[in-house]
Amino acid sequence: MPDPRDHPDDPRHIAGCMDCQTRANLTGLDLDLDRVWTGVMATVGAREPGRLERMAARLLGSPGLARALTATPSLAFSWVLASLAVLTIGVAATHGSEVGTPWVALLAPCLAGVGIAYSYGPGIDPAFELSQTMAIPDRMVLLVRVLAVFGLNALLGIGATLFTPVAAGVTWTWLVPMAMVSALALAAATVAGSANVGVAAALAGWALVVLGTKAETGDVTAAVGTNLAPAYLLATVVFGAVALAASNGQRSQGGSTRWQA
Amino acid sequence: MAGLMVTNQRAVQVRGLTQRFGRTEVLRGVDLEIGNGVFGLLGPNGAGKTTLLRTLATVIQPAGGTVRLLGRDPGNDTERRQLRRRLGYLPQALGYYPGFTVSEFVEYFALLKEVPAREVRLAVARAIERVGLEDRAKSKLKTLSGGMLRRVGIAQAIVNEPDLLLLDEPTAGLDPEQRVGFRAMLREIGTHGTVVVSTHLIEDVAVACAEVGLMANGRIVFRGTPCQLTARGTEFNLGDSDLERGYGAVLAGARA
Repeated sequence: MPDPRDHPDDPRHIAGCMDCQTRANLTGLDLDLDRVWTGVMATVGAREPGRLERMAARLLGSPGLARALTATPSLAFSWVLASLAVLTIGVAATHGSEVGTPWVALLAPCLAGVGIAYSYGPGIDPAFELSQTMAIPDRMVLLVRVLAVFGLNALLGIGATLFTPVAAGVTWTWLVPMAMVSALALAAATVAGSANVGVAAALAGWALVVLGTKAETGDVTAAVGTNLAPAYLLATVVFGAVALAASNGQRSQGGSTRWQA
Repeated sequence: MAGLMVTNQRAVQVRGLTQRFGRTEVLRGVDLEIGNGVFGLLGPNGAGKTTLLRTLATVIQPAGGTVRLLGRDPGNDTERRQLRRRLGYLPQALGYYPGFTVSEFVEYFALLKEVPAREVRLAVARAIERVGLEDRAKSKLKTLSGGMLRRVGIAQAIVNEPDLLLLDEPTAGLDPEQRVGFRAMLREIGTHGTVVVSTHLIEDVAVACAEVGLMANGRIVFRGTPCQLTARGTEFNLGDSDLERGYGAVLAGARA
C-alpha cells in the first residue's frame, strides 16, 4: 500500500487514484484481521487425519480415541516393520531348521506381549500426567490400544504361519498363548506401573513356559500344543482380572491415590 | 464453545482437604473457595502447592475432605468427565512427545478433552497464536527451547477455553517479554473463568493476580490481595520488594 502522506484526501485525487480507492474500501469494512489470520492459520496448519484414523473415529465414535489409537507407540509404522522383520526371520528359521521348528508360533506371543506392554502409560508415556486429566478416560484408551495391538499381531502371525506349511498343526494354537502372554504383560505393567516391567514379565514368562515344556516333553512345540490351551485360557482370565483390579478404583502411585480416569 | 455457566457457585470449593504421601501429610485440612479471576498460589518448596494443584486437576484423589470443581463432584465418574472437558492443566514437569509438532501436540489434547471435532482446528490455531508460537506450529517439539515447550504446554491447557485453568509454574523458562504477554493473557482469561497459578515469582503474582494464597507446611496461612500481603511486611523482613517482605513476614509468622 502506498504511503498515505503521498496521497491527499482530496476527493478529486481519490477519484483518479486506484490505490486510495482500495484503501478506502478496506477501511470501510468491518474486518477483524486477527480473526481472519487465525482462520487462515487453522486451515494451513491443520493436520489431516489419515484414512485409518478416520475409519477408527467412525468405528469408535470418538475422534479423540481414534487419535490416541494412532498415536500408540506399538502401532507405529516402524514398530510394525520391526515385528514383520522378526516374523520373517522366524519363517526363514523354520524353513532352515531340519525339524521345522515353528519359530513363528514361538515368537508371536512375545511380540504381542511386548507391544501390549508398550501400550501402557506410566513409565513409557511422557505426557502420562496430562493424560490423567483428560475427558477421555485413559482406561478406555488402554483398552482400545490393547485390542488393536493384539489384533494386529494376530494378523501378522497368521500371515507369517501361512508361509510355514510344516507348522500346519500349530497354525492357530499359538493364538491362545499369545492372549495369555499379552494378559500377563498388561497385568505386570499395571501392577508395577511400568511398561518395562510388563515387557520383562511377558518375555520371561513365555521363555519359562517354552523351556519348561521342552524340558518335560523334549518337544519345543509342546508350548503351543492344544493340550495346554485350557491352562492358558485360565491364566489369561486370571491375568486379565489382575490387570482390571489393579487399574480399577483406587490406584496407588507414590503414596497418593489417583482418580480412576 | 460455550463454557459452563458458573454463576452463583464458586469454581473451586474445597473443605478440609488432606493429602498424604506414605506417612507424610502434604496437605493438612485445606479450605479454599475460588471464583472468577486469577488466584495466585505462593509458598516455599514443599509447601504443598503442586499437590494442591494436582488434586484440583483430578490427577490424584483426596485422602480426606471434600472437593467440588465447577459445581461438580470429581468423585463421580460422569461428573469428572464433564468437569475435565472444562478444565485446563499445566503440570510443573510437562512431558511431551518429541516427534509431535506443536500443532499435533495441542490438537491431540484438544481431541482428548473432547473439543467438538468441527471446532478443533480453529481452537488449536487460536491457542497457538495466543502463546506466540504461530511461526513454529509445524516444528517438532524436540527442536524447541525450554521456554517454547512451556508455551506449548500453556497452549494445550487453554485450547478448550477452560472455565478452570490450573497452571503450575507456567512462566518457568519464559523471557521477560513473554511473561508480560502471559500475564495479560491470564488477566483476560480471568475475566470469564477461574485461573489458579502456582508460582515462585512474586512479580507475576503482583501484576496478574487479584488474590493470592500463601501456603506453608500443607496449609493456607494467608489469603488476600497482593496489597494486603504487602501490608504485612516490615522493613525488618527479608526481601527486595514490599511484596517479598510481606511474603517473608507471613512465612515467618507461620513458622513461629
